[in-house]
Amino acid sequence: MATHPSHSHEIKNPGPWEVPSSLRISFIALAVIGFALFGAGLKVDSHRAWASFLHNHFFFMSLALGGLFFAAIQWLTGAMWSAPLRRVAESFTSYLPVAILTFLVIGFGVHDIYHWSHAEHVQGDIVLEGKAGYLSVPFFLIRNVIAMSVWFFFAWKMVGNSLKQDSEGGVALTFKNKALAPAFLILFAISFTMASFDQLMSLDPHWFSTMFGVYCFAGLFYSTLALTAVVTVTLKRRGLLEGIVSEEHLHDLGKFMFAFTTFWAYIGFSQFMLIWYANLPEETGYFLNRFEGQWLWVSIFLLVGKFLVPFLVLLPRENKRNQNILFNIGIYMLGAQWIDILWVVQPEFYKDGPRCFWIEAGTLLGFVGLFGFIVTRFLSKNNVVAIKDPRLEEAVFHHHQ
Amino acid sequence: MLNQSTATTTESGKTLEGVVGFFNDPHALLEATKKVREANYEVFDTFTPYPIHGLEKAQGLKRSPLPYVTFGAGLTGFLCANLLQIWTSAIDWPINVGGKPMFSIPAFVPVMFELTVLFGGLATVAGMLLFNGLPNTRKRAFDSSITRDRFAIFIGSPSKSANQSFKAFTESEATQMLKAVGAQEVRTVFAEGWF
Repeated sequence: MATHPSHSHEIKNPGPWEVPSSLRISFIALAVIGFALFGAGLKVDSHRAWASFLHNHFFFMSLALGGLFFAAIQWLTGAMWSAPLRRVAESFTSYLPVAILTFLVIGFGVHDIYHWSHAEHVQGDIVLEGKAGYLSVPFFLIRNVIAMSVWFFFAWKMVGNSLKQDSEGGVALTFKNKALAPAFLILFAISFTMASFDQLMSLDPHWFSTMFGVYCFAGLFYSTLALTAVVTVTLKRRGLLEGIVSEEHLHDLGKFMFAFTTFWAYIGFSQFMLIWYANLPEETGYFLNRFEGQWLWVSIFLLVGKFLVPFLVLLPRENKRNQNILFNIGIYMLGAQWIDILWVVQPEFYKDGPRCFWIEAGTLLGFVGLFGFIVTRFLSKNNVVAIKDPRLEEAVFHHHQ
Repeated sequence: MLNQSTATTTESGKTLEGVVGFFNDPHALLEATKKVREANYEVFDTFTPYPIHGLEKAQGLKRSPLPYVTFGAGLTGFLCANLLQIWTSAIDWPINVGGKPMFSIPAFVPVMFELTVLFGGLATVAGMLLFNGLPNTRKRAFDSSITRDRFAIFIGSPSKSANQSFKAFTESEATQMLKAVGAQEVRTVFAEGWF
Protein backbone atom coordinates (compact mmCIF):
# COMPACT_ATOMS: atom_id res chain seq x y z
CA MET A 1 0.00 0.00 0.00
CA ALA A 2 2.91 2.28 -0.75
CA THR A 3 0.66 4.71 -2.58
CA HIS A 4 -0.71 6.16 0.62
CA PRO A 5 1.33 8.99 1.98
CA SER A 6 -0.11 8.48 5.44
CA HIS A 7 1.65 5.11 5.49
CA SER A 8 5.12 6.30 4.96
CA HIS A 9 6.10 6.74 8.60
CA GLU A 10 8.80 4.38 9.66
CA ILE A 11 8.35 1.78 12.36
CA LYS A 12 11.06 2.28 14.92
CA ASN A 13 12.99 -0.92 15.54
CA PRO A 14 12.65 -1.71 19.26
CA GLY A 15 15.69 -3.97 19.01
CA PRO A 16 16.24 -6.87 21.39
CA TRP A 17 14.92 -6.97 24.92
CA GLU A 18 17.58 -6.07 27.45
CA VAL A 19 16.56 -8.73 29.91
CA PRO A 20 17.24 -7.53 33.46
CA SER A 21 19.97 -9.62 35.01
CA SER A 22 17.79 -10.15 38.09
CA LEU A 23 15.25 -11.95 35.91
CA ARG A 24 17.94 -14.00 34.25
CA ILE A 25 19.46 -14.97 37.60
CA SER A 26 15.99 -15.85 38.93
CA PHE A 27 15.47 -18.23 36.03
CA ILE A 28 18.84 -19.87 36.61
CA ALA A 29 18.11 -20.14 40.33
CA LEU A 30 14.69 -21.65 39.63
CA ALA A 31 16.22 -24.19 37.26
CA VAL A 32 18.92 -25.18 39.75
CA ILE A 33 16.59 -25.38 42.76
CA GLY A 34 13.83 -27.04 40.75
CA PHE A 35 16.00 -29.78 39.29
CA ALA A 36 17.64 -30.31 42.68
CA LEU A 37 14.18 -30.93 44.09
CA PHE A 38 13.49 -33.28 41.18
CA GLY A 39 16.72 -35.12 42.00
CA ALA A 40 15.66 -35.39 45.64
CA GLY A 41 12.25 -36.57 44.45
CA LEU A 42 13.91 -39.38 42.50
CA LYS A 43 15.38 -40.68 45.74
CA VAL A 44 12.11 -40.40 47.66
CA ASP A 45 9.61 -41.62 45.08
CA SER A 46 11.02 -42.28 41.62
CA HIS A 47 7.64 -43.04 39.99
CA ARG A 48 6.23 -39.77 41.15
CA ALA A 49 9.27 -37.72 40.19
CA TRP A 50 9.46 -39.26 36.73
CA ALA A 51 5.73 -38.78 36.20
CA SER A 52 6.19 -35.14 37.04
CA PHE A 53 9.19 -34.87 34.73
CA LEU A 54 7.19 -36.33 31.84
CA HIS A 55 4.29 -34.02 32.65
CA ASN A 56 6.44 -30.89 32.56
CA HIS A 57 8.49 -32.09 29.60
CA PHE A 58 5.30 -32.47 27.57
CA PHE A 59 3.85 -29.15 28.73
CA PHE A 60 6.92 -27.12 27.75
CA MET A 61 7.61 -29.12 24.59
CA SER A 62 4.06 -28.25 23.52
CA LEU A 63 4.71 -24.55 24.11
CA ALA A 64 7.91 -24.62 22.06
CA LEU A 65 6.25 -26.52 19.24
CA GLY A 66 3.13 -24.37 19.51
CA GLY A 67 5.22 -21.28 18.83
CA LEU A 68 6.37 -22.81 15.56
CA PHE A 69 2.83 -23.89 14.71
CA PHE A 70 1.55 -20.36 15.31
CA ALA A 71 4.28 -18.83 13.14
CA ALA A 72 3.81 -21.44 10.41
CA ILE A 73 0.09 -20.79 10.02
CA GLN A 74 0.81 -17.07 9.73
CA TRP A 75 3.29 -17.72 6.91
CA LEU A 76 0.99 -20.19 5.22
CA THR A 77 -2.06 -17.94 5.25
CA GLY A 78 -0.19 -14.71 4.66
CA ALA A 79 -1.88 -13.21 7.71
CA MET A 80 -1.36 -9.48 8.13
CA TRP A 81 -2.61 -8.85 11.66
CA SER A 82 -0.13 -11.11 13.40
CA ALA A 83 3.09 -9.72 11.94
CA PRO A 84 3.94 -7.69 15.09
CA LEU A 85 3.34 -10.71 17.37
CA ARG A 86 5.01 -13.45 15.37
CA ARG A 87 8.52 -13.00 16.74
CA VAL A 88 7.23 -13.64 20.25
CA ALA A 89 5.85 -17.01 19.12
CA GLU A 90 9.11 -17.70 17.26
CA SER A 91 11.05 -17.15 20.48
CA PHE A 92 9.35 -20.19 22.06
CA THR A 93 10.90 -22.45 19.42
CA SER A 94 14.36 -21.76 20.86
CA TYR A 95 13.38 -24.26 23.55
CA LEU A 96 12.89 -27.12 21.03
CA PRO A 97 16.47 -28.46 21.25
CA VAL A 98 16.13 -28.51 25.05
CA ALA A 99 12.87 -30.45 24.67
CA ILE A 100 14.82 -33.10 22.73
CA LEU A 101 17.27 -33.27 25.63
CA THR A 102 14.55 -33.57 28.26
CA PHE A 103 13.01 -36.33 26.16
CA LEU A 104 16.34 -38.14 26.14
CA VAL A 105 16.43 -37.77 29.93
CA ILE A 106 13.07 -39.55 30.01
CA GLY A 107 14.94 -42.45 28.42
CA PHE A 108 16.42 -43.06 31.87
CA GLY A 109 13.00 -43.13 33.48
CA VAL A 110 11.20 -45.29 30.93
CA HIS A 111 10.79 -48.19 33.33
CA ASP A 112 9.43 -45.94 36.05
CA ILE A 113 6.97 -44.29 33.71
CA TYR A 114 5.81 -46.84 31.16
CA HIS A 115 4.17 -50.05 32.24
CA TRP A 116 4.69 -51.53 28.74
CA SER A 117 8.45 -51.26 29.02
CA HIS A 118 8.56 -54.21 31.44
CA ALA A 119 8.84 -57.48 29.57
CA GLU A 120 7.30 -59.37 32.51
CA HIS A 121 4.13 -57.27 32.30
CA VAL A 122 3.83 -57.71 28.57
CA GLN A 123 4.21 -61.48 28.78
CA GLY A 124 0.81 -63.12 28.95
CA ASP A 125 -1.11 -59.93 28.30
CA ILE A 126 -2.75 -60.42 24.89
CA VAL A 127 -3.21 -56.72 24.23
CA LEU A 128 0.33 -55.75 25.19
CA GLU A 129 1.83 -58.69 23.31
CA GLY A 130 0.00 -57.46 20.24
CA LYS A 131 1.40 -53.98 20.70
CA ALA A 132 4.91 -55.13 21.64
CA GLY A 133 6.31 -54.42 18.18
CA TYR A 134 5.34 -50.78 18.43
CA LEU A 135 5.78 -50.23 22.15
CA SER A 136 9.42 -51.21 22.45
CA VAL A 137 11.85 -48.90 24.22
CA PRO A 138 14.40 -48.40 21.39
CA PHE A 139 11.71 -47.83 18.75
CA PHE A 140 9.87 -45.48 21.13
CA LEU A 141 12.99 -43.41 21.73
CA ILE A 142 14.12 -43.37 18.10
CA ARG A 143 10.82 -42.38 16.52
CA ASN A 144 10.19 -39.62 19.04
CA VAL A 145 13.67 -38.20 18.66
CA ILE A 146 13.17 -38.24 14.87
CA ALA A 147 9.84 -36.44 15.22
CA MET A 148 11.32 -33.80 17.49
CA SER A 149 14.31 -33.41 15.19
CA VAL A 150 11.92 -32.73 12.32
CA TRP A 151 10.31 -29.96 14.39
CA PHE A 152 13.70 -28.59 15.26
CA PHE A 153 14.78 -28.69 11.61
CA PHE A 154 11.77 -26.62 10.54
CA ALA A 155 12.23 -24.22 13.47
CA TRP A 156 15.85 -23.77 12.51
CA LYS A 157 14.94 -23.17 8.86
CA MET A 158 11.86 -21.02 9.22
CA VAL A 159 12.75 -18.99 12.30
CA GLY A 160 16.24 -18.70 10.79
CA ASN A 161 14.75 -17.20 7.64
CA SER A 162 12.68 -14.83 9.73
CA LEU A 163 15.74 -13.66 11.68
CA LYS A 164 17.76 -13.32 8.48
CA GLN A 165 15.02 -11.09 7.10
CA ASP A 166 15.62 -8.65 9.96
CA SER A 167 18.90 -7.68 8.32
CA GLU A 168 18.29 -8.53 4.66
CA GLY A 169 14.70 -7.37 4.24
CA GLY A 170 12.85 -8.14 1.03
CA VAL A 171 10.09 -10.64 0.36
CA ALA A 172 12.12 -13.67 -0.76
CA LEU A 173 12.50 -15.08 2.75
CA THR A 174 8.79 -14.67 3.43
CA PHE A 175 8.08 -16.74 0.30
CA LYS A 176 10.58 -19.36 1.41
CA ASN A 177 8.74 -19.71 4.69
CA LYS A 178 5.43 -19.79 2.88
CA ALA A 179 6.74 -22.82 0.96
CA LEU A 180 8.13 -24.53 4.07
CA ALA A 181 5.07 -23.93 6.23
CA PRO A 182 2.66 -26.45 4.60
CA ALA A 183 5.32 -29.16 4.65
CA PHE A 184 5.86 -28.51 8.34
CA LEU A 185 2.16 -28.41 9.15
CA ILE A 186 1.46 -31.76 7.51
CA LEU A 187 4.42 -33.36 9.27
CA PHE A 188 3.41 -31.62 12.50
CA ALA A 189 -0.09 -33.11 12.40
CA ILE A 190 1.28 -36.62 11.97
CA SER A 191 4.28 -36.38 14.26
CA PHE A 192 2.57 -34.56 17.13
CA THR A 193 -0.23 -37.11 17.09
CA MET A 194 2.43 -39.79 17.31
CA ALA A 195 4.30 -37.99 20.08
CA SER A 196 1.16 -37.58 22.17
CA PHE A 197 0.14 -41.21 21.60
CA ASP A 198 3.62 -42.37 22.56
CA GLN A 199 4.49 -40.09 25.41
CA LEU A 200 1.10 -39.71 27.12
CA MET A 201 -1.48 -42.16 25.80
CA SER A 202 0.83 -45.16 26.23
CA LEU A 203 0.86 -44.50 30.00
CA ASP A 204 -2.20 -46.73 29.88
CA PRO A 205 -1.13 -49.09 27.09
CA HIS A 206 -4.49 -50.87 27.05
CA TRP A 207 -6.41 -47.72 26.34
CA PHE A 208 -6.73 -45.95 23.02
CA SER A 209 -8.52 -42.93 21.66
CA THR A 210 -8.01 -41.77 18.11
CA MET A 211 -8.91 -38.26 19.28
CA PHE A 212 -6.10 -38.13 21.78
CA GLY A 213 -3.68 -36.39 19.42
CA VAL A 214 -6.21 -33.67 18.63
CA TYR A 215 -6.90 -33.29 22.34
CA CYS A 216 -3.21 -32.68 22.99
CA PHE A 217 -3.05 -30.32 20.03
CA ALA A 218 -6.00 -28.33 21.39
CA GLY A 219 -4.14 -27.94 24.67
CA LEU A 220 -0.93 -27.08 22.83
CA PHE A 221 -2.48 -24.19 20.96
CA TYR A 222 -4.56 -23.08 23.96
CA SER A 223 -1.42 -22.68 26.04
CA THR A 224 0.72 -21.27 23.21
CA LEU A 225 -1.73 -18.44 22.59
CA ALA A 226 -1.89 -17.77 26.33
CA LEU A 227 1.90 -17.58 26.55
CA THR A 228 2.04 -15.36 23.45
CA ALA A 229 -0.32 -12.96 25.20
CA VAL A 230 1.70 -13.06 28.41
CA VAL A 231 5.05 -12.39 26.71
CA THR A 232 3.61 -9.74 24.38
CA VAL A 233 2.07 -7.83 27.28
CA THR A 234 5.31 -8.17 29.26
CA LEU A 235 7.26 -6.62 26.38
CA LYS A 236 4.60 -3.97 25.90
CA ARG A 237 4.74 -3.02 29.58
CA ARG A 238 8.45 -2.48 29.19
CA GLY A 239 7.75 -0.09 26.34
CA LEU A 240 9.35 -2.29 23.68
CA LEU A 241 6.28 -2.60 21.48
CA GLU A 242 5.30 1.08 21.66
CA GLY A 243 3.55 2.11 18.46
CA ILE A 244 3.73 -1.45 17.13
CA VAL A 245 1.37 -3.65 19.10
CA SER A 246 -1.84 -1.75 19.73
CA GLU A 247 -4.95 -2.87 21.53
CA GLU A 248 -6.28 -3.92 18.10
CA HIS A 249 -3.61 -6.62 17.91
CA LEU A 250 -4.29 -7.67 21.49
CA HIS A 251 -7.96 -7.84 20.61
CA ASP A 252 -7.20 -10.18 17.71
CA LEU A 253 -5.02 -12.33 19.93
CA GLY A 254 -7.76 -12.37 22.56
CA LYS A 255 -10.25 -13.58 19.95
CA PHE A 256 -7.83 -16.35 19.03
CA MET A 257 -7.54 -17.36 22.71
CA PHE A 258 -11.31 -17.30 23.04
CA ALA A 259 -11.73 -19.47 19.94
CA PHE A 260 -9.26 -22.07 21.12
CA THR A 261 -10.73 -22.17 24.60
CA THR A 262 -13.93 -23.24 22.91
CA PHE A 263 -12.04 -25.57 20.58
CA TRP A 264 -10.39 -27.34 23.51
CA ALA A 265 -13.76 -27.85 25.21
CA TYR A 266 -15.25 -29.10 21.96
CA ILE A 267 -12.48 -31.63 21.42
CA GLY A 268 -12.36 -32.66 25.07
CA PHE A 269 -16.08 -33.23 25.15
CA SER A 270 -16.09 -35.05 21.81
CA GLN A 271 -13.51 -37.49 23.11
CA PHE A 272 -15.49 -38.02 26.29
CA MET A 273 -18.92 -38.32 24.73
CA LEU A 274 -18.01 -40.95 22.14
CA ILE A 275 -16.49 -43.14 24.83
CA TRP A 276 -19.36 -42.50 27.25
CA TYR A 277 -22.01 -43.27 24.63
CA ALA A 278 -20.41 -46.43 23.26
CA ASN A 279 -19.58 -47.56 26.81
CA LEU A 280 -17.07 -50.18 25.65
CA PRO A 281 -15.08 -51.69 28.53
CA GLU A 282 -11.73 -51.28 26.75
CA GLU A 283 -12.31 -47.55 26.36
CA THR A 284 -14.12 -46.40 29.49
CA GLY A 285 -11.28 -47.13 31.93
CA TYR A 286 -9.55 -43.86 31.16
CA PHE A 287 -12.50 -41.75 32.25
CA LEU A 288 -13.51 -44.02 35.12
CA ASN A 289 -10.05 -43.46 36.60
CA ARG A 290 -10.56 -39.73 36.31
CA PHE A 291 -14.02 -39.68 37.87
CA GLU A 292 -12.93 -41.53 40.99
CA GLY A 293 -11.77 -40.11 44.28
CA GLN A 294 -10.31 -36.63 44.24
CA TRP A 295 -9.81 -36.84 40.48
CA LEU A 296 -13.50 -36.05 40.03
CA TRP A 297 -12.80 -32.54 41.32
CA VAL A 298 -9.96 -32.10 38.88
CA SER A 299 -12.27 -33.25 36.07
CA ILE A 300 -14.87 -30.70 37.17
CA PHE A 301 -12.15 -28.06 37.32
CA LEU A 302 -11.30 -28.77 33.68
CA LEU A 303 -14.89 -28.17 32.61
CA VAL A 304 -15.45 -25.09 34.74
CA GLY A 305 -11.95 -23.70 35.19
CA LYS A 306 -10.30 -24.55 31.93
CA PHE A 307 -13.30 -23.82 29.72
CA LEU A 308 -16.03 -21.71 31.34
CA VAL A 309 -13.85 -19.22 33.20
CA PRO A 310 -11.65 -18.16 30.22
CA PHE A 311 -14.72 -18.34 27.97
CA LEU A 312 -16.66 -15.84 30.10
CA VAL A 313 -13.63 -13.64 30.81
CA LEU A 314 -12.70 -13.42 27.13
CA LEU A 315 -16.29 -12.92 25.95
CA PRO A 316 -16.64 -9.11 26.38
CA ARG A 317 -14.82 -6.99 23.84
CA GLU A 318 -13.34 -4.68 26.48
CA ASN A 319 -11.59 -7.57 28.23
CA LYS A 320 -9.80 -8.72 25.08
CA ARG A 321 -8.55 -5.18 24.53
CA ASN A 322 -7.31 -4.76 28.09
CA GLN A 323 -3.68 -5.81 28.38
CA ASN A 324 -3.85 -6.47 32.12
CA ILE A 325 -6.84 -8.77 31.80
CA LEU A 326 -5.22 -10.52 28.84
CA PHE A 327 -2.00 -11.01 30.81
CA ASN A 328 -3.79 -12.40 33.86
CA ILE A 329 -6.05 -14.74 31.93
CA GLY A 330 -2.98 -15.86 29.96
CA ILE A 331 -1.21 -16.89 33.16
CA TYR A 332 -4.41 -18.54 34.35
CA MET A 333 -4.82 -20.49 31.09
CA LEU A 334 -1.22 -21.72 31.29
CA GLY A 335 -2.00 -22.99 34.78
CA ALA A 336 -5.17 -24.67 33.55
CA GLN A 337 -3.27 -26.41 30.76
CA TRP A 338 -0.65 -27.58 33.27
CA ILE A 339 -3.41 -29.07 35.43
CA ASP A 340 -4.91 -30.68 32.33
CA ILE A 341 -1.68 -32.55 31.59
CA LEU A 342 -1.41 -33.46 35.27
CA TRP A 343 -4.90 -34.94 34.86
CA VAL A 344 -3.73 -36.90 31.82
CA VAL A 345 -0.55 -38.24 33.45
CA GLN A 346 -1.05 -38.77 37.16
CA PRO A 347 -4.23 -40.87 37.37
CA GLU A 348 -2.21 -43.61 35.66
CA PHE A 349 -0.01 -43.69 38.77
CA TYR A 350 -2.32 -42.61 41.60
CA LYS A 351 -5.94 -43.69 41.38
CA ASP A 352 -7.21 -41.90 44.48
CA GLY A 353 -6.33 -38.34 43.67
CA PRO A 354 -3.71 -35.86 42.47
CA ARG A 355 -0.32 -35.56 44.10
CA CYS A 356 0.86 -32.01 43.95
CA PHE A 357 3.48 -31.00 46.46
CA TRP A 358 7.20 -30.32 46.50
CA ILE A 359 8.19 -32.92 43.88
CA GLU A 360 5.68 -31.55 41.37
CA ALA A 361 6.31 -27.93 42.33
CA GLY A 362 10.07 -28.44 42.17
CA THR A 363 10.00 -30.10 38.75
CA LEU A 364 7.68 -27.38 37.45
CA LEU A 365 9.95 -24.61 38.75
CA GLY A 366 12.96 -26.32 37.21
CA PHE A 367 11.30 -26.37 33.82
CA VAL A 368 10.00 -22.80 34.23
CA GLY A 369 13.56 -21.68 34.93
CA LEU A 370 14.95 -23.57 31.96
CA PHE A 371 12.25 -22.45 29.55
CA GLY A 372 12.30 -18.87 30.81
CA PHE A 373 16.05 -18.67 30.55
CA ILE A 374 16.17 -20.02 26.99
CA VAL A 375 13.30 -17.89 25.69
CA THR A 376 14.46 -14.63 27.30
CA ARG A 377 17.94 -15.37 25.95
CA PHE A 378 16.45 -15.58 22.44
CA LEU A 379 14.57 -12.31 22.98
CA SER A 380 17.71 -10.61 24.30
CA LYS A 381 19.68 -11.60 21.20
CA ASN A 382 17.11 -10.86 18.50
CA ASN A 383 14.72 -8.06 17.69
CA VAL A 384 11.46 -8.56 19.55
CA VAL A 385 9.61 -7.69 16.34
CA ALA A 386 10.22 -9.06 12.84
CA ILE A 387 11.15 -5.56 11.84
CA LYS A 388 11.58 -6.04 8.09
CA ASP A 389 8.65 -8.34 7.60
CA PRO A 390 6.88 -7.03 4.49
CA ARG A 391 3.54 -7.35 6.28
CA LEU A 392 4.53 -5.43 9.38
CA GLU A 393 3.78 -1.95 8.07
CA GLU A 394 0.29 -2.85 6.97
CA ALA A 395 -0.34 -4.69 10.22
CA VAL A 396 0.74 -1.71 12.31
CA PHE A 397 -0.89 1.13 10.38
CA HIS A 398 -3.92 -0.71 9.09
CA HIS A 399 -5.04 -1.15 12.68
CA HIS A 400 -3.91 2.20 13.95
CA GLN A 401 -6.26 4.57 12.17
CA MET B 1 -28.80 8.71 10.71
CA LEU B 2 -30.64 9.82 7.60
CA ASN B 3 -34.21 9.31 8.59
CA GLN B 4 -34.25 12.57 10.57
CA SER B 5 -34.11 14.83 7.55
CA THR B 6 -37.22 16.38 6.11
CA ALA B 7 -37.30 18.03 2.77
CA THR B 8 -36.46 21.52 1.62
CA THR B 9 -38.23 22.16 -1.69
CA THR B 10 -36.15 23.89 -4.34
CA GLU B 11 -37.27 26.04 -7.27
CA SER B 12 -37.34 23.11 -9.69
CA GLY B 13 -39.89 21.43 -7.49
CA LYS B 14 -37.49 18.70 -6.44
CA THR B 15 -36.80 18.10 -2.79
CA LEU B 16 -33.22 18.71 -1.70
CA GLU B 17 -31.92 16.02 0.60
CA GLY B 18 -28.28 16.92 0.81
CA VAL B 19 -24.96 16.70 -0.96
CA VAL B 20 -22.73 13.71 -1.50
CA GLY B 21 -19.01 13.73 -2.15
CA PHE B 22 -17.17 10.84 -3.77
CA PHE B 23 -13.65 9.65 -2.95
CA ASN B 24 -11.50 7.13 -4.77
CA ASP B 25 -9.41 6.11 -1.82
CA PRO B 26 -10.44 4.68 1.58
CA HIS B 27 -7.67 6.57 3.37
CA ALA B 28 -8.78 9.87 1.86
CA LEU B 29 -12.31 9.07 2.97
CA LEU B 30 -11.12 8.39 6.48
CA GLU B 31 -9.27 11.70 6.73
CA ALA B 32 -12.19 13.59 5.18
CA THR B 33 -14.65 11.91 7.55
CA LYS B 34 -12.75 13.19 10.57
CA LYS B 35 -12.90 16.76 9.22
CA VAL B 36 -16.56 16.58 8.29
CA ARG B 37 -17.34 15.26 11.74
CA GLU B 38 -15.47 18.16 13.31
CA ALA B 39 -17.63 20.53 11.27
CA ASN B 40 -20.55 19.15 13.31
CA TYR B 41 -23.37 18.63 10.81
CA GLU B 42 -26.61 17.21 12.12
CA VAL B 43 -27.07 14.66 9.32
CA PHE B 44 -24.01 12.98 7.95
CA ASP B 45 -23.05 9.46 6.92
CA THR B 46 -20.46 7.55 4.93
CA PHE B 47 -20.85 4.84 2.28
CA THR B 48 -18.19 2.29 1.42
CA PRO B 49 -18.17 -0.92 -0.59
CA TYR B 50 -16.44 -2.81 2.23
CA PRO B 51 -15.74 -2.25 5.95
CA ILE B 52 -12.92 0.21 6.65
CA HIS B 53 -10.98 -0.06 9.88
CA GLY B 54 -11.44 2.92 12.14
CA LEU B 55 -14.25 4.49 10.13
CA GLU B 56 -16.80 4.04 12.89
CA LYS B 57 -14.41 5.84 15.24
CA ALA B 58 -13.77 8.64 12.75
CA GLN B 59 -17.51 9.03 12.30
CA GLY B 60 -18.14 8.93 16.03
CA LEU B 61 -20.58 6.04 15.87
CA LYS B 62 -21.57 4.29 19.05
CA ARG B 63 -21.03 0.57 19.36
CA SER B 64 -23.84 -1.57 18.02
CA PRO B 65 -25.99 -3.34 20.62
CA LEU B 66 -25.87 -6.43 18.38
CA PRO B 67 -23.51 -8.49 20.63
CA TYR B 68 -26.06 -8.34 23.44
CA VAL B 69 -28.74 -9.65 21.09
CA THR B 70 -26.45 -12.54 20.12
CA PHE B 71 -25.63 -13.29 23.75
CA GLY B 72 -29.24 -13.17 24.91
CA ALA B 73 -30.44 -15.32 22.05
CA GLY B 74 -27.60 -17.81 22.53
CA LEU B 75 -28.47 -18.13 26.17
CA THR B 76 -32.16 -18.58 25.28
CA GLY B 77 -31.22 -21.32 22.82
CA PHE B 78 -29.12 -23.03 25.48
CA LEU B 79 -31.99 -22.97 28.00
CA CYS B 80 -34.54 -24.11 25.40
CA ALA B 81 -32.33 -27.06 24.51
CA ASN B 82 -32.15 -28.02 28.18
CA LEU B 83 -35.89 -27.74 28.73
CA LEU B 84 -36.76 -29.52 25.49
CA GLN B 85 -34.53 -32.49 26.19
CA ILE B 86 -35.17 -32.83 29.89
CA TRP B 87 -38.92 -32.59 29.35
CA THR B 88 -39.13 -34.96 26.41
CA SER B 89 -36.59 -37.61 27.40
CA ALA B 90 -36.78 -37.61 31.18
CA ILE B 91 -40.26 -36.39 32.17
CA ASP B 92 -42.97 -36.55 29.56
CA TRP B 93 -42.13 -39.65 27.54
CA PRO B 94 -39.10 -41.49 28.89
CA ILE B 95 -37.94 -44.30 26.59
CA ASN B 96 -34.67 -45.94 27.35
CA VAL B 97 -32.89 -46.63 24.08
CA GLY B 98 -29.21 -46.36 24.99
CA GLY B 99 -28.97 -48.01 28.37
CA LYS B 100 -28.22 -44.61 29.90
CA PRO B 101 -30.07 -42.79 32.64
CA MET B 102 -33.07 -40.85 31.35
CA PHE B 103 -31.57 -37.63 32.58
CA SER B 104 -28.13 -37.77 30.87
CA ILE B 105 -26.49 -34.41 30.47
CA PRO B 106 -23.65 -35.65 28.18
CA ALA B 107 -26.24 -36.83 25.65
CA PHE B 108 -27.90 -33.42 25.75
CA VAL B 109 -24.77 -31.39 25.17
CA PRO B 110 -24.67 -31.60 21.34
CA VAL B 111 -28.23 -30.28 21.11
CA MET B 112 -27.47 -27.58 23.69
CA PHE B 113 -24.54 -26.51 21.55
CA GLU B 114 -26.51 -26.60 18.31
CA LEU B 115 -29.48 -24.63 19.63
CA THR B 116 -27.17 -22.05 21.22
CA VAL B 117 -25.50 -21.53 17.86
CA LEU B 118 -28.76 -21.63 15.90
CA PHE B 119 -30.60 -19.12 18.10
CA GLY B 120 -27.53 -16.91 18.37
CA GLY B 121 -26.88 -17.00 14.63
CA LEU B 122 -30.44 -16.33 13.51
CA ALA B 123 -30.92 -13.56 16.08
CA THR B 124 -27.68 -11.91 14.94
CA VAL B 125 -28.92 -11.79 11.35
CA ALA B 126 -32.35 -10.56 12.45
CA GLY B 127 -30.84 -7.96 14.78
CA MET B 128 -28.44 -6.78 12.10
CA LEU B 129 -31.34 -6.26 9.68
CA LEU B 130 -33.38 -4.51 12.36
CA PHE B 131 -30.63 -2.10 13.46
CA ASN B 132 -29.77 -1.29 9.84
CA GLY B 133 -33.40 -0.70 8.90
CA LEU B 134 -33.27 -3.46 6.32
CA PRO B 135 -34.75 -4.71 4.08
CA ASN B 136 -35.60 -1.36 2.58
CA THR B 137 -37.54 -1.07 -0.64
CA ARG B 138 -37.98 2.68 -0.36
CA LYS B 139 -34.38 3.84 -0.66
CA ARG B 140 -32.03 3.28 -3.51
CA ALA B 141 -28.26 3.72 -3.55
CA PHE B 142 -27.58 7.15 -5.03
CA ASP B 143 -24.74 5.77 -7.09
CA SER B 144 -23.85 2.16 -7.77
CA SER B 145 -20.15 2.95 -7.52
CA ILE B 146 -20.39 3.08 -3.70
CA THR B 147 -21.04 -0.65 -3.75
CA ARG B 148 -18.09 -1.24 -6.04
CA ASP B 149 -15.02 0.98 -5.97
CA ARG B 150 -15.87 4.42 -4.63
CA PHE B 151 -16.38 5.85 -1.19
CA ALA B 152 -18.80 8.61 -0.31
CA ILE B 153 -19.68 11.09 2.40
CA PHE B 154 -23.23 12.35 2.55
CA ILE B 155 -24.16 15.59 4.28
CA GLY B 156 -27.91 15.88 4.67
CA SER B 157 -30.38 18.65 5.06
CA PRO B 158 -31.65 18.54 8.63
CA SER B 159 -35.21 18.85 9.87
CA LYS B 160 -36.88 22.26 9.70
CA SER B 161 -36.84 22.76 13.42
CA ALA B 162 -33.09 22.98 13.17
CA ASN B 163 -31.19 22.08 16.29
CA GLN B 164 -29.07 25.08 17.20
CA SER B 165 -26.24 22.99 18.59
CA PHE B 166 -25.35 21.77 15.08
CA LYS B 167 -23.79 23.58 12.16
CA ALA B 168 -26.42 25.07 9.84
CA PHE B 169 -26.73 23.30 6.48
CA THR B 170 -26.67 25.08 3.15
CA GLU B 171 -26.16 23.34 -0.15
CA SER B 172 -23.35 25.56 -1.33
CA GLU B 173 -21.51 25.55 1.97
CA ALA B 174 -21.68 21.75 2.28
CA THR B 175 -20.47 21.40 -1.31
CA GLN B 176 -17.54 23.66 -0.50
CA MET B 177 -16.81 21.63 2.59
CA LEU B 178 -16.71 18.33 0.72
CA LYS B 179 -14.48 19.79 -1.99
CA ALA B 180 -12.19 21.23 0.64
CA VAL B 181 -11.73 17.84 2.30
CA GLY B 182 -10.76 16.29 -1.02
CA ALA B 183 -13.89 14.91 -2.66
CA GLN B 184 -13.26 14.15 -6.34
CA GLU B 185 -16.88 14.72 -7.24
CA VAL B 186 -19.72 16.41 -5.38
CA ARG B 187 -23.35 15.94 -6.29
CA THR B 188 -26.58 17.32 -4.96
CA VAL B 189 -29.04 14.67 -3.90
CA PHE B 190 -32.75 15.17 -4.47
CA ALA B 191 -35.54 13.08 -3.09
CA GLU B 192 -35.91 10.85 -6.10
CA GLY B 193 -36.47 7.29 -5.26
CA TRP B 194 -33.68 7.36 -2.77
CA PHE B 195 -35.82 8.90 -0.06
